[in-house]
Amino acid sequence: MGHTIAEKILGSHTDAGTPAKAGEVVVAKVDSTMIHDARADGAFSAVERLGVDSLPFAKNTALVIDHFSPPPNAEAANTHVAMRAFAEKHGARLFDVGSGICHQLMPENGYVTCGAMVCGTDTHSTTYGAFNAFATGVEGTDLSVIMATGKNWFRVPETIKVMLNGALQPGVWAKDVTLYMLGKFGAEGLNYKAIEYKGSGVSSMEIDDRMTLSNHAAELGAKAAILEADDKTTSWLKAHGAAAPNPVTADEDANYFNSIEIDTANLTPQIARKHLIDDVVPVPDMTKQKINVALVGTCTNGRFDDVRQVAEIVRGKKIAQGVRLVVTPASRDIYLRAEKEGLIRDIVEAGGSVDSAGCGTCVGITNKLIAGDGETVITSANRNFQGRLGNYESDIMVSSSATVAASALTGHVTDPREIEGGQWRAA
Amino acid sequence: MSSNAKIKGNAHKFGDNINTDVHCSNKYTPGLDVDDVSKIALSKLDEKFHDSFKMGDVLVAGENFGINSSREFAVHVLKKIGISAIVAKSYGRQFFRNAINNGMPLIECDTDGIDSSDAIEIDLETGKVSVADKNFERDTPPLPKEVQAILGAGGLIPFLKEHPDWKLN
Repeated sequence: MGHTIAEKILGSHTDAGTPAKAGEVVVAKVDSTMIHDARADGAFSAVERLGVDSLPFAKNTALVIDHFSPPPNAEAANTHVAMRAFAEKHGARLFDVGSGICHQLMPENGYVTCGAMVCGTDTHSTTYGAFNAFATGVEGTDLSVIMATGKNWFRVPETIKVMLNGALQPGVWAKDVTLYMLGKFGAEGLNYKAIEYKGSGVSSMEIDDRMTLSNHAAELGAKAAILEADDKTTSWLKAHGAAAPNPVTADEDANYFNSIEIDTANLTPQIARKHLIDDVVPVPDMTKQKINVALVGTCTNGRFDDVRQVAEIVRGKKIAQGVRLVVTPASRDIYLRAEKEGLIRDIVEAGGSVDSAGCGTCVGITNKLIAGDGETVITSANRNFQGRLGNYESDIMVSSSATVAASALTGHVTDPREIEGGQWRAA
Repeated sequence: MSSNAKIKGNAHKFGDNINTDVHCSNKYTPGLDVDDVSKIALSKLDEKFHDSFKMGDVLVAGENFGINSSREFAVHVLKKIGISAIVAKSYGRQFFRNAINNGMPLIECDTDGIDSSDAIEIDLETGKVSVADKNFERDTPPLPKEVQAILGAGGLIPFLKEHPDWKLN
């Protein structure tokens, strides 16, 4: 019996170096790690409990200030003070206020490559699977032992093969795929499992969209969401200073827990209705729903192609009266590229606003954005729990960035394919 | 492992999809520490929980206990309360990992038939969960021995202090 990508990457990082088997518990080397500011305190206190003098592997760790960027209170500001001191002391690299979101910065700064083992203190660390890495979310205790020993323990997950059959239509994006899957399998429906995404639906996607695919798998409960590497992957990694990619493929006779096929060629834009990320319907069924706030950004959909989707849709037009459109680029590089190409201007002239790079309007813990009682938010973020944006009396719906932008223009949920510019496609 | 492989206590039953970030953490109440949260945790789900709880009692739940919760703070809170083990149909992935790393025994089994205040017994080594008064018995696959070793040491950090070479067996 052959092996899945997860079994091969985990196995190649053990002392034995041979493929692992689903269900086994292994001790594996970890190549790079990430700690963000909403978990840094926990990681630092775990380091204290561990009681070691030096952290020889902290040099492979990125410390990212993104959740509280800029800090909204003294508690967060003091965490940032501790992060700067920790980075200096242990040789970790600090990404300060305005640098961007951890899951964008890790690949942009060469921390991720094909075949690598990557851990981060965030559920959406699955993002790096887009680059053929085994990447998963852990907590502070895990980070402390990885920085001290370079290793951690892992239960080798069973893998579900997901075939995406056919290129997405213009106006339909990876987010529509993950929402469709959430509607079909439920939140946490693939709990503990690794996903391998394959097929022409994946190969036709650009890197930005592939990152959404791996990122939003976290809502399915996936431990990892791994894509095969192709020329797009390796040239992107090369351009961003990654270690030489060593692509890993699954064996023909790999032992999959399950196989799923999705007709991506005929998929329509999807939307998760209020409160539950798996209450998903096609966008055309929701067009009577009025919206008040339209948000684009986060680690799920704050990439360059997302900013571009918004600009293509709103350029030369005005967003609907009373609607607030806020776009938050996922990194400073994305921000600068969007500025250079005039996209920021397009969005601001249309009546939107653009925030500095970071987690931005994803979660209400930062008071970045609070909707009023009875108001409806449409966002390209990853989650829509009641109250996530700081007010239990407002509703949150989740869609692609294109659907958010089209809805900002009309003031109600709108299929981007029906709007001029909504059929723009990354190439 | 033998010292704490068998756990006995009264059950406190909860439902499906308990989000421990909401019910056992300070995510939405910054400034509260583990002690503060341990006094109010889970009370929105069961207002009598803290009155009826005795040290060493067992938390019983349905599907996806700890769903969407990445914070190990939640496990610190559950330990502070004095919960000796958790039995649930399934767990949020990261909650499960955090529990093991922080020495909170947990077992996955069908909990239908277990009710609050049942005297429950768990044998981590064999994977047996039982309520003698009801003739209730469930045999589940025991946790991998490596995970039992981490739990037996009291969590990942104490384990590594004993085994700096990472030898799990």
